[in-house]
Amino acid sequence: MTLRSLFIPITLLLVIAFLIGPFLIIVAASFSAGETLAFPPQGFSLRWIAKVFTVESFRASFGMSLFLAIGGTAAALILGIPASYALSRYKLPGAEIVRTVVSAPIIVPGIIVGLALLRYIVVPFQVGITLALFLAHTALVLPYAVRVVSASLDNLRSDIEEAAVLLGSSRLGAFFRVVMPNIRGGIMSAFILGFVTSFNQVPVSLFLSGPGVRTLPVDMIAYMEIVFDPSVAALSSLLAFLSIGIVFVAERFLGFSRYV
Amino acid sequence: MSDASYLSLEKLTLAYGDSVAVANLDLNIRKGELIALLGPSGCGKTTTMRAIAGLLAVKSGHVRLDGADITRVPANKRAVGLMFQSYALFPHLSVYENVAFGLKLKGMRGPELETKVQSGLKSVGLSTFANRKPAELSGGQQQRVALARSMVMEPKVLLLDEPLSNLDARLRLEMRTELQRVQKETGVTMIFVTHDQAEALALADRIVVMKSGKIEQIGSPEDIYNRPTSSFVADFVGFENIFPLENGKMKTSAGLIDLSGKPPSAAGLAWRPRMVSLGTGPFQGTVRGTSFAGDSREYLLDTSLGPIKAEVEASQPAHALGADLFFDLPPEKAAPLLRFV
Amino acid sequence: MFQNRTEALALALPAAIFAAAVFLVPVVILLSDGFRVPTGGWTISAYTDFFSNSLNQAVFLRTLRLGALVTIASAVIGYAAAFAIVSLEPGAKGKVTGLVVLPLMISPVARTYAWIVILGRTGIVNQAFQALGITEAPLRILFSETAIFIGLLQLFLPLMIISLISALENMPKDAIPAARVLGANWFQVFWKVVLPLTKEGLVIGGTLVFTGSLTAYITPAILGGSKVLMLETLLYQQVAVSNNFVAASVIAFILIVMSFAANILLKRVATARNKQRSQA
Repeated sequence: MTLRSLFIPITLLLVIAFLIGPFLIIVAASFSAGETLAFPPQGFSLRWIAKVFTVESFRASFGMSLFLAIGGTAAALILGIPASYALSRYKLPGAEIVRTVVSAPIIVPGIIVGLALLRYIVVPFQVGITLALFLAHTALVLPYAVRVVSASLDNLRSDIEEAAVLLGSSRLGAFFRVVMPNIRGGIMSAFILGFVTSFNQVPVSLFLSGPGVRTLPVDMIAYMEIVFDPSVAALSSLLAFLSIGIVFVAERFLGFSRYV
Repeated sequence: MSDASYLSLEKLTLAYGDSVAVANLDLNIRKGELIALLGPSGCGKTTTMRAIAGLLAVKSGHVRLDGADITRVPANKRAVGLMFQSYALFPHLSVYENVAFGLKLKGMRGPELETKVQSGLKSVGLSTFANRKPAELSGGQQQRVALARSMVMEPKVLLLDEPLSNLDARLRLEMRTELQRVQKETGVTMIFVTHDQAEALALADRIVVMKSGKIEQIGSPEDIYNRPTSSFVADFVGFENIFPLENGKMKTSAGLIDLSGKPPSAAGLAWRPRMVSLGTGPFQGTVRGTSFAGDSREYLLDTSLGPIKAEVEASQPAHALGADLFFDLPPEKAAPLLRFV
Repeated sequence: MFQNRTEALALALPAAIFAAAVFLVPVVILLSDGFRVPTGGWTISAYTDFFSNSLNQAVFLRTLRLGALVTIASAVIGYAAAFAIVSLEPGAKGKVTGLVVLPLMISPVARTYAWIVILGRTGIVNQAFQALGITEAPLRILFSETAIFIGLLQLFLPLMIISLISALENMPKDAIPAARVLGANWFQVFWKVVLPLTKEGLVIGGTLVFTGSLTAYITPAILGGSKVLMLETLLYQQVAVSNNFVAASVIAFILIVMSFAANILLKRVATARNKQRSQA
């Protein structure tokens, strides 16, 4: 009996230490006063946290990642919400084909998507790297947008739209008056999920880099290959706290996990 | 337009894709009538209702309302109200906003809107609930909001989808009275869809019994209850002993059987369990099942005619399982059926 | 369900056309590159060339091996963790599940980077080993299959645990006590009752972990270095270093075939269950 009662806490402790421990070590390392990445940290300082903000390439690539995460997710929602609505409410000819096509980018490894875009969109059509990254991130987020929005549409009774129409609303008006307000939580959740996915994405963006145009995680990998100081640890900690914060707020106010 | 056809369906055919749900339906409804569309699920009653509302495109035929052909008029311009089975209240809006929804779309604003919404809420006794959200109301209250929301629009026809089915027995009686009151006060033409014959008998001025996309019988509740014209309607309203006739003789599993009295000219005969006289008569059966229902007692008899259901007053002496009984199916009490299906 | 086809298509087509143009068509062309003869016609010689190279064979086998090992390890640890979590009080269960999910929200770069600190020459593990006298000189753990294995396991274990938690929660409550009453020991309970009843969760989790491991780029890139390659890092090298687009297409095709195979398996298990349900 004692063996069994010990099993649960010990298992949980080991698993959580394995999953969370490395992250805590990174956080501790980012407050090191030493010159190189090490644990336990040598002394305490905020110099590496401060340094993150002074590295020019981090600032540029952070801006790029932010633009892609916000812009790409917004574009994916603009395409994905009507498509989800059609899939959920209409007798759509070829519904399965549409569903497969819009959710396919999730199955194909990102590095292949990035390479395909480079070879067959960027080069032949002379598309700029920024635009290519934007298209790639939109395609990447689209499956998540469709999945989450569809789930919240499926949870909403469709007869309220008919009720709105019988009370004098047009079909489009019914969508904005009674559907949108009721799937707002789902749309916000899709936005957050898309944002985090896009922001953390590496393989898609790997080949889509140009002079001065790079996403933040790709930039971090490049930086850590050259410099072995704790600034990447500091940046990682900052980003992690940022995503955890966003997800925590989302869970608190939207019940985020219902949709994901 | 004559008074007898305020709302008329002419040769109405409705289909989902290639499967026809309602075929060549003709129906005339008077202004201010309370009509029940009664039938089992899949009979086309809900489909017909959705076509009247404009939620389903008509394949062929016409819908006319108050002298105008509304077959191609979109649902939001028809002046037809619908109270959904699920009530379909807007979950993000308060009770007040729900009732005001359609009026606002009409462009109504300010004190006029306020007065109209308040009187709508008052008429269903929910004035004090104006600021609640639908989720904070009971099922019965939600339904009254749905009723007020439809009625403030002053529809020419109010459609009701299974209006009593989601309510418990006590609320059911309350809502029934409420609907009848609203109908008397406003004179609105009401059509409600139901699979429950008791609901239809209690509420409707006229009942339309439907089966497989066709009208089986139209009549007053008394007609439908006492004089079903087909074996389907008879079965649906509780005639449990139904036999076809051939040359004035009853066709049973034991062959053609002469009936006492003069042979009736009908396609079949139907008896309610209560119409079977137990104790004397030309036929004999064995008690296979019995159940006590307070005022009465029901017997299931095994007979050469097939299974027979009989009901007698509970004050009569009870018969045990396995007892052999004589019984009669008196033709003068039977409902003569014109069609046997 | 609305019937209007034109409206439905107008709503759905922009997304479908976008995904087809930006994603589907370029990817299909890319995949066809490995089968095309430059002078016209089709061939599979790129594939025979690829597999006749012993380095490529090693990378291919390593990718499969790591995928399989990570999946097996995550299943074993996942069952223990999921069991422990579902046996907690509801409040504690939510918090612990939150801790398990948390790493999924953190950038994989950050999560992988942490292992450099832990497994590096002056990392925690080497410091501990030397302090305890287990080894004299620092071990070379980084840039090895072991490092990639640890990194991938940490990356994908949460997915397995979550799948198994929901499978265990959907299991009939009385199944385990019933089996115990009938005389089964704990091993038999797991093998004869729990495993069959949670098979679906295991397959879903396993598919996620396996395809995730096959197609991970960051972990082998950071923890494997330029010597210990997996298919994804090999693909990157073929493009970035060797400019060999045909080889890249071959690797891409292999990766896609492997992920699709795993996904089809997932779908088949899911539909098998639906069939069972509709028969019930």
